[in-house]
Amino acid sequence: MSDLLYLYGLIPTTEANDQSLPSITGFDGESELYTIPVGDVTAIVCNLDSGKHTEVELKDKIENDMEWLQEKAFHHHETVLMVSKMYTIVPLKFCTLYKSEDSLKSSIEGTRNKLESTFKKLKGNEEWNVKIFCNDNQLREEVSDSNPAIEEKRKEISELPKGRQFFEKKKIDQLIDQELENEKNRICEEVHEKLKEKALEGNVKKNWGKDVTGRKENMAWNSVFLIAVDQVDDFIEEVNRYKEELEKTGWSFEASGPWPPYHFSSFS
Amino acid sequence: MTVRESIENKDIALIDILDVILDKGVAIKGDLIISIAGVDLVYLDLRVLISSVETLVQHKNGTRKEINSEKLDKEREELIHATGQPDKWAQQD
Repeated sequence: MSDLLYLYGLIPTTEANDQSLPSITGFDGESELYTIPVGDVTAIVCNLDSGKHTEVELKDKIENDMEWLQEKAFHHHETVLMVSKMYTIVPLKFCTLYKSEDSLKSSIEGTRNKLESTFKKLKGNEEWNVKIFCNDNQLREEVSDSNPAIEEKRKEISELPKGRQFFEKKKIDQLIDQELENEKNRICEEVHEKLKEKALEGNVKKNWGKDVTGRKENMAWNSVFLIAVDQVDDFIEEVNRYKEELEKTGWSFEASGPWPPYHFSSFS
Repeated sequence: MTVRESIENKDIALIDILDVILDKGVAIKGDLIISIAGVDLVYLDLRVLISSVETLVQHKNGTRKEINSEKLDKEREELIHATGQPDKWAQQD
């Protein structure tokens, strides 16, 4: 029985009236997406069989069935992305399910004011992600050779008696590591501020480890921006400028987007 | 193709998608509450999921080692031998 509602996202009803939703296949691979208007807000949903989709089963699949998770995560993302290219959308979390249309409606009505202001903020804007990676070894050498604090420390050491030099030289390695981190943050912050000038908002996210990214270089910066559509080209050009400028010193930049506005539509 | 298009058409990694759809995205409470212990883990350390993919792949390729109690007992004996520690798990009178 198709008695559950899977909610993908919310769009303004005015926009839903301007153009109808194209044919998109739903979560179970059979049903089709459709819209439910709730006043000024319109929900993008599909039906789902409650017999096959229970809390326990879904939780178990998300945690233990990676193939299923991959397929469904891509489905959710691609669907929301497709809708986001046509309408201003507030994207919902993966597997937001309702037992009835009434329950969905009352949930939406409870957040109506927040939704309205979120739509205003998002309209005509796009979310982009920028990740900055750094080849630490390469930058470390450069820092070691050209950092004034380290230069000074070296000079200090060379004037010490031989016996003490050995231990002080060990300390210098720690100093280089610290200066390397400082230098990385300094450059990333500078780039972030510059990029933010082209954007409406910019947030810094947690860096991911190498085992997550599968890359040799460390992630030095992970950030998201909300950008007006007509500013996006400028923004990307700016990223590319940094890419070219800093490539030689071991830096790489990766921009991805447009994303549905996952980071700029959450309200608590 | 414009610069923008070349970025738009790039493949997006699963990890990027999971990060946003499990952790970000608006949480308007649904009737079914899928409280995934993994979400926090995903956010704090996406490694957990990656490693489970790897286990899955290994399992499929048949490289996963078989585990049974006999083998575990044997390994335990070896450990006791190697560390020279008394067997804590041995029955005490």
